[in-house]
Amino acid sequence: MTVPQSRRTPLTVLAGVGALVALAGCDSTGAATDAADGPIKIDASDTSCTVSTTTAAAGNLTFEIANKGTKVTEFYLYAEGDRIMGEVENIAPGLNRRLIVEVPDAGKYQTACKPGMAGNGIRGDFTVTGGVARQNDTNAQKAEATKSYATYVANNSAALETETAKFVDAVKAGKVDEAKSEYARTRVFYERIEPVAEKFGDLDPAIDAREADLEPGQQFTGFHRLEKDLWRSGLQPDSPQIADKLLTDVKDLVTKAKTLQLSALDLANGAKSLLDEVATGKITGEEETFSHTDLWDFQSNLDGSKNAIVALRPILQAKDPALVSTLDKEFANVQALLDKTRVGDGFKYYDQLSQDEIKTFASAVDALSEPLSKVAAVVAK
Amino acid sequence: MVFSSALIGLREGLEAALVVSILVAFLVKTDRRHSLRFVWPGVGAAVLLSVAVGAILTYSTAQLSFEHQELLGGGLSIVAVGFVTAMIFWMRKASRHIAAELRGKMEDALKVGPAAVLLLSFLAVGREGLETAVFFYSAVQTAQSDTIQPLVGFVIGIIVAVLLAYLLYRGAVRFNLAKFFTITGVLLVFVAAGVLGYGLHDLQEAGFLPGLTTLAFDASSTLPETSWYGALLKGIFNYSQQTTVLQAVAWIVYVAIVLPLFLKPTRKTTAPAPASAATVKE
Repeated sequence: MTVPQSRRTPLTVLAGVGALVALAGCDSTGAATDAADGPIKIDASDTSCTVSTTTAAAGNLTFEIANKGTKVTEFYLYAEGDRIMGEVENIAPGLNRRLIVEVPDAGKYQTACKPGMAGNGIRGDFTVTGGVARQNDTNAQKAEATKSYATYVANNSAALETETAKFVDAVKAGKVDEAKSEYARTRVFYERIEPVAEKFGDLDPAIDAREADLEPGQQFTGFHRLEKDLWRSGLQPDSPQIADKLLTDVKDLVTKAKTLQLSALDLANGAKSLLDEVATGKITGEEETFSHTDLWDFQSNLDGSKNAIVALRPILQAKDPALVSTLDKEFANVQALLDKTRVGDGFKYYDQLSQDEIKTFASAVDALSEPLSKVAAVVAK
Repeated sequence: MVFSSALIGLREGLEAALVVSILVAFLVKTDRRHSLRFVWPGVGAAVLLSVAVGAILTYSTAQLSFEHQELLGGGLSIVAVGFVTAMIFWMRKASRHIAAELRGKMEDALKVGPAAVLLLSFLAVGREGLETAVFFYSAVQTAQSDTIQPLVGFVIGIIVAVLLAYLLYRGAVRFNLAKFFTITGVLLVFVAAGVLGYGLHDLQEAGFLPGLTTLAFDASSTLPETSWYGALLKGIFNYSQQTTVLQAVAWIVYVAIVLPLFLKPTRKTTAPAPASAATVKE
């Protein structure tokens, strides 16, 4: 033992006092939830353990234990596998003791009185109903959500690589018609996972930049450059190089996407940003200025967004069921409008749409954007 | 009714009273009476704190979750073990110099801050204080509405504990110094081992440590805690009728390390260790 300053001694004790009081304070809760119908009464004797009710709603449960026997007793509330949820020891004969246990989860529990404070006690089944998802369950749900979305990303990026290779081959072979029909099919997979591509700064512009959005001095490469060649200006001498670079970039993206660690919040933000893509690019017809295959992209963005929400669904359902039903309704609404424009296995070209159709699309997308913008906050809760 | 409540009071009060009485005896024996004035504030603070927090938990909607309660009890126990262990070796150091009749040297060895004395008293009493206070309040509530017997029994138990500790103090003071150190030191080793085991058991109950159901032995029927001798054992050595393997291992390891260290003859060429300190019969 060392020699501290004697002056400081009362402080040391005071610090301990403060810590204890703080500890008691941090568990302060409102009155127990079952105040309406009073505490759950336990009558304990040397041979019995009578519980006034064997079901309760999740939350803070108050037990009032009365020892009517001749032995000192204990009372326990066990979760499955005899995990102790709460206990009160040293209940002397004639004594009443109160026990407040926080039980956040529904499930099967057991009450137990232990006359003589020994043995396994006199057990009784106790059912807790309702309940809220706990934080650690939420974390498990989040892990589950990101895992399932990661699978979606992996599938689409694999398909993207395959289709891009076909498209590039057609371009390099000078087969314009084949390349044209391959174009929208390939872009489907890119548009579905665009938020992932956007995570890798320079790859998204290299693959997907629109001519109108180019910075001064920036080279026009990627899908839209080839789109322009195929539909507008005819294949250029450097088209094969552009095609090769596109394939290289896509392969690079696929490799990087494999190592990407997404969070649940990324999913939520991605779902929203895909819809923003629709609103700013596809509804206006700016994305596919030359090929007018905007609706293919529209559908893909919608798919990507929907899949992120599907992955997040258990979390949202637990935290904000109303939001889930709103999202379902609005997704269905947008999808129904898109379905009206289907032609064969594709869609109408953008330039075949009437102003009214475009307006209807715009307002449906806005109506979906609104609940989507709330998802991130709910996930972060 | 009175008897079983009295046993609880005795059990809860005994360990604290024991450590405090040894501390007081030690200070008195070594002419360090001026340090005594730091014992009572420590004890008082612990009692006040326990009573205050107990009242908050009983009469308001504030509550300590089960995990926190156990974590607090278990954590304090383990801190207390550290302090009691330090006290044991502090006494050993002192006894070494007493044997060699080196009063001056002993003074040096005992230069311990009032803070240590204060904290030790505080911990010894505060460790079980909260649980005891909550029990006390429910006895009070029962006395108001139902029967006064549990409260009476509990108070009797506490009084008996204090009385026993006083007797121990009186007895201990009569021993010659070297013997006093050895006997109380050995006693404290076992007390500390018990507190350590008890603290670990608390942490097991809260689920911070595994193995709550892996029992080393279950003496519920042969040596029940609810009997008077069981209560004494529990009060002094923190005996528990259902001892987990972790508890038992910790207890054995602690005793196996600390006891030999405490009893080890000092390797001083100038002053051979006294026989009394080297050969203690348990």
